[in-house]
Amino acid sequence: MNETTGKRRAYVLAVLIVANMMCAVFFAADVIADFEALGSQESFHLMIEAIAAVVLVFGTGFLLMELRRLLQRNASMEIGIRAARGEMQSVIDRFFSDWGLSDAERDVALLLLKGLDNEAIASIRGTATGTVRAQCARIYAKAGVDGRSQLMSVFMEELLSEPLGSAAAGQRAA
Amino acid sequence: MSAHELEGAGEAGIRAIPVWDPLVRLIHWSLVATIVLNGFVTEDESKLHEYVGYAALGLVVLRLVWGIVGPRHARFSAFPPNPFAALRHIRDTITARNVLHLSHNPLGALMVYNIWATVLVLCATGIMMGTIRFFGLEWVEEAHEAAFTWLMISVVLHLVGVVADSWLSGVPLVRAMIDGRKRVPVDREVE
Repeated sequence: MNETTGKRRAYVLAVLIVANMMCAVFFAADVIADFEALGSQESFHLMIEAIAAVVLVFGTGFLLMELRRLLQRNASMEIGIRAARGEMQSVIDRFFSDWGLSDAERDVALLLLKGLDNEAIASIRGTATGTVRAQCARIYAKAGVDGRSQLMSVFMEELLSEPLGSAAAGQRAA
Repeated sequence: MSAHELEGAGEAGIRAIPVWDPLVRLIHWSLVATIVLNGFVTEDESKLHEYVGYAALGLVVLRLVWGIVGPRHARFSAFPPNPFAALRHIRDTITARNVLHLSHNPLGALMVYNIWATVLVLCATGIMMGTIRFFGLEWVEEAHEAAFTWLMISVVLHLVGVVADSWLSGVPLVRAMIDGRKRVPVDREVE
């Protein structure tokens, strides 16, 4: 479940809770009104309505707790994602410093990691495409990689910190 | 304060803090709809008026339950009814060093409780009018109408309060009740 579906689920739950509550109030009111009008005749009908009202009240309560749990999960996931984003930024910064990239090269390298092509990077930075190509070549040389995909893989490696093979071992255990 | 509340969201110098959850917002605007419907649209003694009244009762009861089990900003503990805090808030606002409150501010909190209580009185007297025991009793009817007048006064004061607070604090409150996020300048102290 990602951030957006979590939010959408919270909205759906909120609408369900309000609708459920409306039904509960309607049945409860109807039971009371019918009891006033009919007394104990039709007690079977009244009992069914009363049970429906009680079930709806419990349903509403259950949905309320669900929504609360969902909101908590959404909030902690948001924190987690932001933390991960912040962490990734610092990992990237560390590599860039290790490679001794200049400020301009850092900008270009970051845009490369974000998946932009040379033309897009050139237009963002207001330079010629040739300049960007030269900067890319220097970045690859300093990082000791031979192209864009290898540059990416340096960071992917960091994200997939589990040693190779352990995922398969985990699957066998489960 | 948790990490996600410190994070900015696009606009420079502004952080958008999620405050009102979907249920709080849905109940707020649904209650607005029921008040408008029963105050100005439905026939006073019609079935529809009764149903809308029950809906309003359900909304307030739901909000009261959510005030106990809901998330932090929706809870009563985030905006306890405290007249002294309200007075302090007025004084602080006048001296222009008001602290921002993420939930309702102390003065707004009193208005919130007042509106809920008034709606409950309207529902109670409305239901009483339909019962055999209280049918035709004049004081019940008068109480129902007095409560409605008080509700209208409260709504006007509520709107004035929202406009004034948005203007003085620079936090657009109506928008917060629509998308749930209060937009707070980064350097402002929040409570």
